[in-house]
Amino acid sequence: MIQFEKFTLSNGLKVIFHKDPTTPLAVINTLFDVGARDESPDKTGFAHLFEHLMFGGSINIEDFDAPLQNAGGESNAFTSNDITNYYNIIPAQNIETALWLESDRLLSLAFTEKSLETQRSVVIEEFKQRYLNQPYGDVWLELRPLAYTTHPYQWATIGKEIKHIEDASMEDVKSFFYKHYTPSNAIVCIAGNFELDYVKQIMEKWYGDIPSGIKPARILPLEPKQEIFREKTIESKVPSNAFYYAFKMAEKKSFEYYVTDLLSDALGRDKSSKLYISLQKELKLVTEIHCYITGSLDNGLLIIEGKIAPGETFEKIDSGIWKVLEELKNKLLSDSDLERIKNKISTSKEFQEQGLLNRAMNLCLYELLGDANGVNEEASLYESITAAHIHTIANEILITENCSLLKIKAIQE
Amino acid sequence: MINRTLAPTITSINEISFTAPKIIPLNQHVNLFWMSEIYDETTRIELHFDAGTIRSAEKVAGFVNSLLLSGTPTKNSTTINNELDSLGVFTDIEVGQEIAVVSIYCLRKNAEKAFSIILDAITNVNFDENEIEDIIREKKQNFLIGSEKVSILSRRKFQESIFDNSINYSRQLKLEDFDTITKESLIDFHKAHYLNGLVKVIIVSRLEEEKIAHIAKTLTEFCVSTPVKFEDNFINKKGRIDIQKYGAMQTAIRIGMPLFNKKNSDFIDFQILQTILGDYFGSRLMSNIREDKGYTYGIGCGVSETFESGHFIIATEVGKEYVEATLNEIKFEIERLQQEEVDSDELTLVKNYLLGQLLKSADGPNAMTDLFIGAFNQGKDLTFYQDVINRINAISAEELKLTAIKYLNWENLTIVTAG
Repeated sequence: MIQFEKFTLSNGLKVIFHKDPTTPLAVINTLFDVGARDESPDKTGFAHLFEHLMFGGSINIEDFDAPLQNAGGESNAFTSNDITNYYNIIPAQNIETALWLESDRLLSLAFTEKSLETQRSVVIEEFKQRYLNQPYGDVWLELRPLAYTTHPYQWATIGKEIKHIEDASMEDVKSFFYKHYTPSNAIVCIAGNFELDYVKQIMEKWYGDIPSGIKPARILPLEPKQEIFREKTIESKVPSNAFYYAFKMAEKKSFEYYVTDLLSDALGRDKSSKLYISLQKELKLVTEIHCYITGSLDNGLLIIEGKIAPGETFEKIDSGIWKVLEELKNKLLSDSDLERIKNKISTSKEFQEQGLLNRAMNLCLYELLGDANGVNEEASLYESITAAHIHTIANEILITENCSLLKIKAIQE
Repeated sequence: MINRTLAPTITSINEISFTAPKIIPLNQHVNLFWMSEIYDETTRIELHFDAGTIRSAEKVAGFVNSLLLSGTPTKNSTTINNELDSLGVFTDIEVGQEIAVVSIYCLRKNAEKAFSIILDAITNVNFDENEIEDIIREKKQNFLIGSEKVSILSRRKFQESIFDNSINYSRQLKLEDFDTITKESLIDFHKAHYLNGLVKVIIVSRLEEEKIAHIAKTLTEFCVSTPVKFEDNFINKKGRIDIQKYGAMQTAIRIGMPLFNKKNSDFIDFQILQTILGDYFGSRLMSNIREDKGYTYGIGCGVSETFESGHFIIATEVGKEYVEATLNEIKFEIERLQQEEVDSDELTLVKNYLLGQLLKSADGPNAMTDLFIGAFNQGKDLTFYQDVINRINAISAEELKLTAIKYLNWENLTIVTAG
């Protein structure tokens, strides 16, 4: 159980306070309700590029990191297709340094040309390092547009192509900031050994006078229901053939999301899962195989991916996978299978909640979904799932018409 | 209205509370370290074996490690995995250069069962032919995939060069090694380095005292019976080595030289110096090469410690057109540390940052245990970290400059590029 208190400043900024009396550190986590899904198709990679610029100095403070480090703290951020999340970890006695910095960059950025030019170049190197210069690194650049025809999940957070990052102008940057970086579009979590009154007072002090802004309405193009199987093969200079089956699944707010999560665990989380046992241990068709969900807030994907053993074929893999899926659709998961999957979830949750930062990030994410307390309801939600629930979802989503398949064919140099 | 141009007052860290785990000797050479001051239901158990890659001339250390849960005379791998997963247990089984570690993560209520399943599995491996074949096939694929990554190509060559005078430490797996593994060599290594190779046990859990005692007793028979020895006095191959990787868009760079570990009295000074150079986000290498020039997504440095020695390493991946420029800037930053004293603002910042990092490293029972072990491995206790705090507070810009002159010499470095 994660204890927390919630309050909202008059400018609409939502604040969650989580008290942890055991730590000498404080976490300040800020979630902005903006991600790559909010970009326009001809300016992708923007939310992420912008995240970099948030460290390039704000209206009253030349440099973000140096004062924070000087106070013994550190900071980082990440961007997903759904959200942008910034965090600071700092000795508790210096929490106001972090609030001073965070609130000033919410008030306004410095918007220097130098910062834009440098971060543009850094992000291009990041694009190369993580997506282009790694074996299989470009898979998500190919799989997303195959699985999504309409919804902005069709591009990755890094962007569709380097050119979009090269073309970003200062004007674009400014309008992105003014639209999305407002108190009304943010959730802050303060975690550490403080009293609620104190947290209210310092939050009011640093954030109280920032104009509210208008929370941007999100009207995203809806992904139409997929009705035909889609397949794409790309050739790549990689050591082995690889496959990625992507099945559409429910949004995060739904009960079905959690059912699908368990379904993916049953199929391919660990070495007792059905795909691993069948394709890797028994048939020896693959050298690795995994099943997982993308965890997206809107309709996401259940992915089955793996690498093909030398000498084996895509056809054999395909029939092997569908055989496992059909079995799961025809027969209820056994009680012991279900219990095993749930026990793993309980263990990982207990370990995840050890971290102060994890707790703060999760509280913000659940608040975005509607209620921070969702973080405490997750366990009973998983517990309530039955084999029949999983059976229903398996039959609904694990069908060819709901599937997009990307094949990576290895070619010699 | 608040004046936002004024920074809030900073309170520096004067004191950090350190907690030591209890030490339970299993024999003269092996201890069990038990951190019981934990407030949640998690349990972490680590078994450390004298089974690193340095111990295997036949290069089987990694294969034996991967086969630890592959089956016993009474259970196959699927049964073992199923039993563990049913208890919600996660395992992490890794081989390093000097030691191999089996880590168990589970809830306290399942800890005893998980421990006995794992101990049974790893001490009764039956080295089934089928399982051996599976592991070789899987590891070979991973090796080939790794060989496509410039970061891994440069790392392999760097390791080889930094330990140039040591056969055991410079040893790297090659593609042809996958074809020469024999069952006998696996069995021999397992017997020598696992069945008689336990060197350390770590438990972070609120388990009851008698359960800890039981675990301790059960493990005694697997402990090493003589002190374990590790090498030192490494000599590197100096100068530059370029590895060609056709079609790569980025080049990985690794630069470094043999150094020392906590046992050396200059260790703390060097740590502070290398933090300024490249071991935090605002470091000189990051400021110059990422934040000013935009050559890379990231660049960093660190000291990698072994039981008797250590080495210094700078690592980055840069756009292939920026390799020479990056090397020039790294050289420039190293020489700047030797020629100019660090100004007081920067020095204060780094001191405060390091104290904040130390506070973080001591936060929570798991972090605190790792911090303790880090010192204990090199014959130190928690007073070492008080020395660190004192030294951070006391060190001067002049002393740092002298440290740079003493240790950071461009001519002594190994430079590997892959791209």
